[in-house]
Parts: sequence; C-alpha cells; structure tokens
Amino acid sequence: MSTTGSLETALLELDELQAGAVRTFEAAASPDEVEAARVEYLGQKQGRLKAAQERLRSLPNEVKKAYGQRFNGVKQALEAAFDSARARVERRAVAAGGIDVTLPGIAPRLGHRHPLAQTADELIDIFGRFGFAVARGPEVEDVRHNFDALNIPPVHPARDPLDNFYLSDGTMLRSQTSTIQVRVMESQPPPVRVVAIGRVYRPDTVDATHSFMFHQIEGLMVDEGVTMGHLKSILRLFAKSYLGEDVQIRFRPSFFPFTEPSVEVDMLWHGGRRWVEMGGAGMVDPNVFKAVGYDPERVTGFAFGLGIERLCMRRHGIDDIRLLYQNDVRFLDQF
Amino acid sequence: MIVSWNQLTDYVRLDMPVEALTERLALTGLNHESTEDVGGDLAIDLEVTSNRSDCLGQIGVAREISVLYGKPLRLPAASPRTAGEPVEAFAAVSVEAADLCPRFTARAMTGVKVGESPWWMRKRLETLGVRPVSNVVDVTNYVMFECGQPLHAYDLDKLEGRRLVVRKARPGEKLTAINGKEYDLRPEMLVIADAARPVGLAGVMGGLDTEIGPGTTNVLIEAARFDPMSVRKTSRALGLFSPSSFRFERPLDPEVADWASRRTAELILELCPGAVLHPGVIDVASPTAPREPIVLRLAQIPRVLGIEVDPVEVRRILEALGLRVLDETDRAIKVAPPTWRADLEREIDLIEEVARIHGYEKIVEDRPIPVASAPRGRRERVESAVRDALTAQGLDEAVTFSLVEDALAAPVTAEGADAPPLRVSHSSRRRENALRRSLVPSLLAVRRHNESYGVADARIFEIADVYIPREDGALPDEPARLAIAAGGEFLGLKGVVETLLRRLLIVEPLSARPAGLPLFAAGRAAELWLGDVRLGWMGEVDAEVARKFELRNACSAAELDLGLLLEKARTIAQYSPLPSYPAVVRDLSLVLDRSVTWAELEAVVRENAGGSFREAHYLDTFRGGNLGDQKQSVHFAMTFRRDDRTLTGEEVDEAVKAVVEACSRKLGATLRA
Repeated sequence: MSTTGSLETALLELDELQAGAVRTFEAAASPDEVEAARVEYLGQKQGRLKAAQERLRSLPNEVKKAYGQRFNGVKQALEAAFDSARARVERRAVAAGGIDVTLPGIAPRLGHRHPLAQTADELIDIFGRFGFAVARGPEVEDVRHNFDALNIPPVHPARDPLDNFYLSDGTMLRSQTSTIQVRVMESQPPPVRVVAIGRVYRPDTVDATHSFMFHQIEGLMVDEGVTMGHLKSILRLFAKSYLGEDVQIRFRPSFFPFTEPSVEVDMLWHGGRRWVEMGGAGMVDPNVFKAVGYDPERVTGFAFGLGIERLCMRRHGIDDIRLLYQNDVRFLDQF
Repeated sequence: MIVSWNQLTDYVRLDMPVEALTERLALTGLNHESTEDVGGDLAIDLEVTSNRSDCLGQIGVAREISVLYGKPLRLPAASPRTAGEPVEAFAAVSVEAADLCPRFTARAMTGVKVGESPWWMRKRLETLGVRPVSNVVDVTNYVMFECGQPLHAYDLDKLEGRRLVVRKARPGEKLTAINGKEYDLRPEMLVIADAARPVGLAGVMGGLDTEIGPGTTNVLIEAARFDPMSVRKTSRALGLFSPSSFRFERPLDPEVADWASRRTAELILELCPGAVLHPGVIDVASPTAPREPIVLRLAQIPRVLGIEVDPVEVRRILEALGLRVLDETDRAIKVAPPTWRADLEREIDLIEEVARIHGYEKIVEDRPIPVASAPRGRRERVESAVRDALTAQGLDEAVTFSLVEDALAAPVTAEGADAPPLRVSHSSRRRENALRRSLVPSLLAVRRHNESYGVADARIFEIADVYIPREDGALPDEPARLAIAAGGEFLGLKGVVETLLRRLLIVEPLSARPAGLPLFAAGRAAELWLGDVRLGWMGEVDAEVARKFELRNACSAAELDLGLLLEKARTIAQYSPLPSYPAVVRDLSLVLDRSVTWAELEAVVRENAGGSFREAHYLDTFRGGNLGDQKQSVHFAMTFRRDDRTLTGEEVDEAVKAVVEACSRKLGATLRA
C-alpha cells in the first residue's frame, strides 16, 4: 500500500465519521438519545473519535500532519453538533415545565354593531360619496306628509286603514321614508341631494320575509336638468360600489303615486343568471313638486328607495327577517 | 291576473316563444310571476300594478302585446241577434243612489236552458283558475276575465216585481250571498234590491235566492259601474273579496259595460241555442264629464328621460295605445286618451307611456353627476363613535320594535307614567299596539330571550326614538335615546357610560343624583347629569320588575338622551401639552360618616388641596371591622403637580395636611389609624 493511498483511505473514513455523527446528533430527539450519541462518538473510552485519533499512530510520519489537521476539523464539527443537539433537547425540556403555547388566548370580547346598522352605514357611506347627505324625519306622521303631498289622493287604496297603522288622532306611523323627502323639500329650495333613512311601518303579517316594522333608505335629487339618465347612472354607480364592478342594472315599469315614470330596479352581478329586484325608483311626480312649492316647469328630480333588511339579508345570507329583531347574542356575535 | 295563451291568440297573433313574450311584458310593465301548463294551454300569471286596471282582462293584455309587436288587435263584435218584445216588457231598473252607481245596464233573455258549458268554455275557465258552474254563470265569468267588466246574471222570475233598485241597505237588512253565507248589511252599503229585499251586494257578490239555478229559464244580465270606494268599504267591512270587487275597486272603462253585456248575451245564445235576447237595453247612466285632451310637448321627453325619442316613434306609440291624435305640430302632440286608460290624464303620464314602450334599456347610464360635498353629518359621526365605544366594551347592538305591549311602553321616569302611551289601532296588533316611551323594557325582554337560550349575560344597547305624546295636538316628541342593559352592578354600568363620555370627548362633568325610578331598585338608581342638563337615568333593575320580565339574572340598565350626547360630543380632539414635571401622588384613608358621598368628599378635597392639586382618584371604601355600623373608611389617591417646576415633599405635605384639616372640619373626617 502506498503512503498516499493509505492517507486517502484514512481521510475518507474521517469524512464518513463526521457525516454519520452529524446525522445522528441531528436525529436525536431526547436527552437520552443525545447522550447515547455522545458516548458513541465522543466517549473517552470507546468513542469512535477516540478510535480515529488512535489511528494517527499507525500512519506513516509524512502524512501524520495532514491527517491531524483534518482530525481536528472533524472533532470540532462533532462537538458543535453535540452542543447544538443538547441545547435543542434542553429547550424542549424547559418548555415541558412552561406554558402550553397552543392554548387559546384570553380574548377580550368585542361587541358587534347590529347587521342592519352595518348595512345602513355602508349605504350612507356610498351615497355620501355621491354627494347625498343624510336626512331624517318623524316616524309618527300626518297624512299630509305620508299621502297628500305624495300625490296619494284620499280615495287611494294605499290609505286604507287595513294597510296602515293609524293613531286615534288621525296621524299614523309612516309607511315609507318618502315623508322625509317632502319635509326636506318643504324646508329648503332646490337643489336637493339627500338620502332619507329610518324605520317604517306596515301591517304585513310577520313571516320569514315580512315584518310590520322595517327600515328604508331613499334617495332624492332635485335640480334643473336632472333626468332619468342621471337616475340610472347613480343607481349603476351604487350597484358597482355595493356589489362590485361586474354588475348590470335594468329598469322595469312600475307604479308609485309619487314618481312618474316609476320603475323597479333589477340588478345582475358576478355573472349571475337571475335579475334580482333591489328597489323602486322614478322621476318625482310634478304633483309632489307642486305640493312642496317647487315649480315642476323649472326643476326635475329623481327618487329611489331600497329596503335595508332585504339588502342586509342578501348580503349576509340571512334567511329569516325575524332574526334581525330577536337580538339573540348568538346571532349578533356573527357580524 | 292569469291570462290564457290560447285565448290571447283569439285577439292577437302570437308567433313568439312564450318566454320571449313574458320577458317583453315584464320589461314594459306586466311583471311575470309564473307560467303553468294547464292541459295543453298555458296559464301565464302577470302582476298588474294598481294604475293599470285595463289589464285586468285578457283583451287588455292582448292590446299591450299588439302595441309591443306591432300586430293588429281583433276584438269580438258582440252584436247578438235579438227577437221578441223589448226588454222593458220584462224588467225595470231604478237607481236611487246615483252617486254610487254612475251606470247600470240590464238586458233580458228568455227561453234559456241552464246546463253544463261546452268543453271549450270549461277548458278556458280551467286555465284561468275558475271553477265552471253552469253555462250562464260561466259566460258571465268568462266575459269578466275577457274584458275586465264584472257582470251578474239574475233569475228574472225570482226578482220580486221583476225590478231592480240600486240603493243603500236599510237598517236590519240581511243578505245570503251566493257563497251561502249570511251578511248583516249596514246602511252605508250599496245593494241591488228587487221590490222587496236586497238581492246582491253591489259590485261584491250576488244573492243566493236569485242566482241562476237548474230551473232558470229567464235571465236578467247586469253590467254596471259602482263607486270604487263604496265597493272597497263594503268588501272590507264584510271581509268578502271577489274577482268582481277587485275590479270594481279600480277605475273601469266607463264604455265597456254595454259591450260586456252584449258579449254575454252573444255567448249565452251560442251556448243555449233556444234562448232569446230581447231587443234594447235598460241603461241608467249619469252624464260623465268629457275627458280633457292631453298635450305632450316633445321637449319634455328629453327633459325627463334624458334621451331623445323620434317624434314619429312617439306618435306611433301613442296611437297604438289607443290615444287619438287631435292635433300635431313639430313641438307638441295633442291627444285624447282612450276610455280604458283612466290613468292617462297628464303630460307626464304620456311621457311614461313613451318611455316604457320605447324601452327603458335605451335610457343612458353614463351621465356625469356634478360633485357635491356631503360630509358625514354630526348625527352619523357621533352615533358611530357611540357604537365604537360600546362595542369596544363588549356590548352588542340590538334593534327592537317600537310598537310594544303595554308592559314595555312605560317611560323610565315616574313623570307621565300615568298617562297612556300613543297607540295604533289595527287588528293585527291588538296587544302590541303601544308606542314605547323608553327603550329599557325592550332591552330587558332581549335579555330574557337570551337567558332562555343559554346566554346568561347579554350586554346590549340600542339607539332609537321614543314617542312622547304632546298636549297641543302637534305630532309627538320623538327624542332619540341610547339605552344600555347589562348584568351586574350599578358601578359597572356607570363605568361603561363614563368610558362612552370620554370617547365622545365630552368635557362637561358627569354627575349622578340619587333618584327613585319605577324600573329600578330603591337606593340603587340615579339621574345622570352633564353639567346642569339631565343626560338620563340608570340603575339596578328592581327585583319585582325583574320577576315580571322573568329575568333570572341581576341586571343594570341606563337610558340616555342621544340628542344631548350629539350636542355635547366633540368630533375633533384638541391636544393639551404633556406635563414637563413629575407628579406626586399621596394616598389618604379617611374615616367618615356613611352618609358622606364621594362627590361631597371630592369637592372638599378639591377646594382645599391648593393650586398644585390635579385630581383625586377614588380607590375603595371599607365598612365594618372596628368602624362600627355608622362609619366608613374611604381610600383615595391625590395627584399634585406644577407646570413650572418640580414640587417639594414639604409643599405636598402641607397640601395634604390642609385637606385632612378641611375634611375634619367640614365632614367630621378622621385619619384612619
């Protein structure tokens, strides 16, 4: 065997020793396994490093230096692997006496805004960006604001006592937020740009989709030169803001005494197949303008109304309107 | 309103798929509810808005289709052959209540053989959802659903005196209707009577005694118009609704009655070949005012719709709808509306007709809207801050009904509690008919609901109006309130209110004054004041009240005037400089009579602690031990600081000494050993 050949073999064995030792230390998962690895490789009596050191003596003198240098490198690597393994298993041991970090935190409970309030807030926010300020009005109304000024004559079926909540003095709980439109126009000259919001009351039989009290938001814009094109444009902007970019809007003819032309507003979004009715709208009827002292030959305007419950239920997948008024904390906690 | 596909083809050619037709109708004003296959025919259910009573018959819908598709409309001529003596030989009609019956027509037929209708008639009625009865009755129903005019056929021989009188009911009169039920009539109800008794509720339902039966041979056909309000009132008062009353409640074509009568006779002749229609008609009609022509200024179309419509198209649409052009210039069209469109009276009505037939899809949706500033109003900002402050403290927002049962309608205070709440009168709300004067009872009911579903401590708030009646006949006051209900004790809830006020940056000091309030336990309730204005009330709910509400767990509640919060809240915070010199804090424990309140103690401390005193911070109260049952020890911390230099210990000692002396002098306090 040549001198060179025996050195090469010896160095190869040192490399293998290092690789095997590092693997073993890294695999050790407990203090016992680390100790066993230490005894195997670094043990003072039977350790494999010790054996490698003794091999030095059997090598020719001219290669001892080269072997010794490599041996020192291997020794340092094994000691480092041992230290690292020991530190690793000791950390675990500390943790066992510490906290269970996977336990849930101690969370302060946040309350929740009512989903109807959240929906109303979002609508107010969107229409605010279009320049519509919020208007409010009384819930107990006179028939002038709820009917007369809205072009609903005394013989109109909408005034039937069966379909309204009248009080004994002839006033009533408003059946629509359009009353607020009248009050706003009575109190200021045009131009007008408001959203009226609030509770309204109709004696519907209560079921999963009907309540005798619910909430409406109604927009009103009056100025010179306001057209149905503006109405459609505003509603399309609203649809985009509320439902997303991919949305279409269409008008279907309808009938409301206080607007003419009157339309139902349908929307279609996210590639849906079914048009969904979102609310009613129309151009303010000239008789309404006359009732509030506006000149219908000078100004035009549009109005639209949306049911907040319906938008809220659709938004959050709520299938029973009664949940909104039960105020079960298990329900409120979901919003 | 159900239309039959097969029947529509009698009047207009249908060469389009049914889906295309219903889509087109929906987009022009007749909303499509459903289409159902009925043994080879299609029953198409359309929603007719209250202004379009012309579409309460098959012909009205056919007319819409003819306009939309530019197809001719074919109507039955309704010109039956007549024979024998004139109608006057068989019957007489007098209208005593002409204000409620603008027109009443009668035709007489003899030799009628009542039997089953032929197959085609039964089939048609089946599509419309109408049960076939007998040939004569089926024809009256068929014609009503054809043209919208309700009709009634009497057994002429059963009419006492062979005459009909249109009058109001007399006291005590009753009528058994063809549904077999007996109705007590009231004097304001319009009836059709014979010489002796009522034989029909005008416009609502005929009477059983005079109905067409198997033995009927002579028939009187009624086609009339009645006052819509009168029909509606009678129908609602008796809870009796019929396809006839539904139509009479709406404006009908004043001209269609005679056509309908002739059409009925024509079909009875067809179904009973041996029958004879006697010449003439008894037609009692009040003169009707001619309808005014309508002028449509063409410039109004773009002014309202925002798009131009070609004047040729405008004229085509109006004429197709049955409007007669009286005059036309390049700026305006003057038209006379058809009798079946009572809803067309004004220029704007015509603009709507042009818009819906021309198509709303042609209205542009890219009009720029001028910018306008609409910052969030004060109410929205402050309400939002209130919601933030309360939800951050773990409270959930509730929305409860304003109409409540009496137990939930009482005000928080004893003031006005004896007066009744405002009430609505409606049969659907016999119990829950009061407008509430406080939100707190509703929130207690919410807590009970949650308790029964396993949530023992629902901490909730609501923002809503309450309704306070006024003496002067004006609309009630509707102050907006904020109410809070939570479990636990007074001070816990007071802390929630204090945190809320801090969040609203309210500078006026909150003070609480003991108060006796019906909802709250004695000695555990207070009025809350901001400066010298009352903010509201709070307290621990009285045990008896809790029992009434079936509450298992202790509860505190507060109700605050939201208007005052809106007024006092600041929406923009103002910075004050941070202190440059350190503060010195000294604790004191003073033994005092139990009657001395913290507010009294704090006031004495503040007035006597000198210029470097900043605040007194309450820590706790000790009672019992060797203090006896008259005394208490109050433990608090005082903070001293100057803005120009560091305080010395001696200065603070002097201030504390002055405080102790003042408390001793004014409150009889001693330092706790």
